[in-house]
Amino acid sequence: MLKGAVVYEGRFTLDFFALLLRDPQLADALKGSFGLALTSTSLTLALAIPIAYAMVRYRLPLKGVLNVVLLVPMISPPFVSAIAVRKLLARFGPINQLLIALGVVDPTNPPSWLDYPFWGIVILQVLHFLPIAYLNCVAALARIDRSLEEAAQSLGAHGFRLFRTVTLPLMMPGLFAAGSLVFILAFTDLGTPLVFNYTRVIAVQVFHRVEQALEDPTGYAMVLLVMVLSVVIFWTSKRWAERWQVQTMPRAAGETGECILPLPLAWLLFAAIFLVAFLAILPNIAVVLNAFADRWFMTILPDRWTTRYFEQLLVYSLTATAIRNSLLYSLASATLDILLGLAIAYLVVRGKAPLPQWLDGMAMLPLAIPGIVVAFGYVGAFANTPLDPRQNPVLLLIIAYAIRRLPYMVRACYAGLQQASEILEEASLNLGASPFRTFVKITLPQILPHLIAGGIMAFAFAMLEVSDSLILAFDQRYFPITKAIYALANRLEGGVQMASAMGILGMLVLGFSLVLSTRLMGRRMGEVFKV
Amino acid sequence: MVHPFRRLLGDGDQTMMPVRVENIVKWLGKTLVLRGITLDFRAGEFFFLLGPSGCGKTTFLRVLAGFLFPEEGRVFFGEREVTFLPPHKRNAAMVFQHYALFPHMSVWDNVAYGLKVRKLPRHEIELRVRDALRLVRLKGFERRFPLQLSGGQQQRVALARAIAVHPDLLLLDEPLSNLDAKLRAEMRSELKELQRKLGVTTVYVTHDQKEALAMADRIAVMREGRVEQVGTPTELYRRPRSRFVAEFLGDANVWEGRIVALHSEQVSVETPFGILHCHPPDFPVREGERVWVMIRPEAVVFVSDGSQQLPNTFVARIERAVYLGEATEVVARVRDIKVKALHFRAQDGGFAHEVRLQFAPNDLVLLPREEAATVAV
Repeated sequence: MLKGAVVYEGRFTLDFFALLLRDPQLADALKGSFGLALTSTSLTLALAIPIAYAMVRYRLPLKGVLNVVLLVPMISPPFVSAIAVRKLLARFGPINQLLIALGVVDPTNPPSWLDYPFWGIVILQVLHFLPIAYLNCVAALARIDRSLEEAAQSLGAHGFRLFRTVTLPLMMPGLFAAGSLVFILAFTDLGTPLVFNYTRVIAVQVFHRVEQALEDPTGYAMVLLVMVLSVVIFWTSKRWAERWQVQTMPRAAGETGECILPLPLAWLLFAAIFLVAFLAILPNIAVVLNAFADRWFMTILPDRWTTRYFEQLLVYSLTATAIRNSLLYSLASATLDILLGLAIAYLVVRGKAPLPQWLDGMAMLPLAIPGIVVAFGYVGAFANTPLDPRQNPVLLLIIAYAIRRLPYMVRACYAGLQQASEILEEASLNLGASPFRTFVKITLPQILPHLIAGGIMAFAFAMLEVSDSLILAFDQRYFPITKAIYALANRLEGGVQMASAMGILGMLVLGFSLVLSTRLMGRRMGEVFKV
Repeated sequence: MVHPFRRLLGDGDQTMMPVRVENIVKWLGKTLVLRGITLDFRAGEFFFLLGPSGCGKTTFLRVLAGFLFPEEGRVFFGEREVTFLPPHKRNAAMVFQHYALFPHMSVWDNVAYGLKVRKLPRHEIELRVRDALRLVRLKGFERRFPLQLSGGQQQRVALARAIAVHPDLLLLDEPLSNLDAKLRAEMRSELKELQRKLGVTTVYVTHDQKEALAMADRIAVMREGRVEQVGTPTELYRRPRSRFVAEFLGDANVWEGRIVALHSEQVSVETPFGILHCHPPDFPVREGERVWVMIRPEAVVFVSDGSQQLPNTFVARIERAVYLGEATEVVARVRDIKVKALHFRAQDGGFAHEVRLQFAPNDLVLLPREEAATVAV
């Protein structure tokens, strides 16, 4: 892929990058992507920081409920919600009907929300990325040594000044990490702009180029640009986070560090956070409504309900094949992930590999490289070879899914191996067992929960992987669930409903997997998302 | 009284501040951590809170700083009650165990932080930061960042940051516990010197009895949320009022005893190896009462001249002698009862198998018997 970008007719050249900027359509898309990603990231952080602060630092009513509600939006890919939301926002759709009923909007000429696709995408992205940013902000806050804030307090600082001079700067590495994660996700989000027919972003341009089978080197240049950008942002944030490692003091038992607020204020704060969380789930609710709506036209809520679309999923050839395909691809990629993750983690943690940092760095790299880059790279690299995705994308899809989830798998295995005592292995070796027998009988049983949990998550995410699936699967026979959803959404009769039903299926798989793997790892909800 | 900062830091309309706490009770979750602490810190005093981990000393310090509010009791800075005043309104600067230096600020900015918060004029801030850094001997380190400093230097920055705001009360939470042994010994005398020069009322928390004995004006020994005894280092060491204090402050021989005769200047106590004549204790005793008898190893006298008739002299069989350099630690048995003693003069050729040991009545301390538990130091 790299070759495609800088080598043309056997010559090394950077001309394509110049071309990228000169082509008005592409330059426009580049600007559009930056604008979109910047807007989404700033708004996401602006919401996530105060929510995280309130959740960590104050004693709030029903905190457990809030915590779950805040994380729910993670279980659906934004483009599935986008399909549902597009319907909500239609000129005579439910939102406008509601506004008309409330007398806010003129019934003869309701506003046409979809004329502002940019803001539609921004809102959906912000709501979807909020949980990820929230989790990272919570982690950033939790890492701050409280005695630093206490020191500032005992020196006379308090309130916003304390936050601005001590808390916020200390959160910065974590915030930067969260921000860059959201930025990369927003920058490379393919599904949402695609659903809103918004072409002024790089991801959609790349997608169309692949779809039209253009042998156009500017595509390579574009993807390379995205990749370089992501890697730079990713490593900067990692380096920054490592620089400020400060020893933290354990808190005295019984001191939670939560401030107690006057009750009315606590409930007010609760209400505010709940409102945001509810807004974030709204797209998901829209998906559910869509899937069960038999008739939903010119009304606020559907007036007839049905489960027909779920039944059709299994009969209809496009969807039935897609479900079967996705199960197969996901199972295969999860298995691949378990094997690779275990091998890499074992080599790194037990120090058996040369240059362990390099191996670790390689394994983490997919975090920084967006799915769209991986997918595009494969299309380019394997064109006109036996693995050409235009012929049969199965193997490439499996590999792409596996690579995307590998960093999380490796992390899960690290955690398992670090808890598994090396002394037990040594004892086994000392008693005469071979290294292989030791691994199977001693090491493996100890890390099994982590392995299974990681595998389940790899499986679930593969089921809902968007950009790889959209780009790599060309032929309907090989469509995975997400590509089928995309295909369905563009059909007129019942397409949106079936797409929604399919989306719910995926969300159920992911939600169930999340709970299961969290239980297995004995961790708190959502930690599987952290890096 | 004029605040000594005036002399040292070129400022001063402050006075040294006495601090008083009355009957502080504090729960943390379901644990009762402080069970009614009443203490007076005199103006300018270097006061130590000494106790094993979990005795509540750090919690008490946090109540003084305002990070925790007590369930019962009151705290006074001078005449002003501050019990429920938040930390930033107290002017009680704290030096944390792990220093809590702001990693994103230079040494200069760390020390200037409290002064900027107080919105002092720029020249005043510069003056005070420079003075504070000079006092802790860190001139020339202004532009460095905390992570570029050694542990000892970080400790000094934390100290400079606290004293720069001219606190009414300086709180130190085990400030030396993260330094290596040699540096710790150096910092002890340096800290003591600095505290004396500044004259700021200072409360210092530690579990290291050597630190407390070496630096304190007065010490409060804490145990399970209560103050066991308050006094000067010598009082506590030589006249402890409980077995816990006796053993926490240093090595001690403690034997069971029963009072057999009471006189105005002397009390006779029956011990497993014979009658000991002691000074009367501070607490009232009855004939027949069971007590502990305590003597420090270094107070045990090796009697060389057998002809002299001294009270409380016994023949002891030496079990082992360990050469420590400045002294030899001797473990002996008087009729099967173990006695630890320190012998300070070098003994060429080792000890004889048998020695005569004397316990001077003045050095024997009687302790009440209400507690059965032995507390390891």
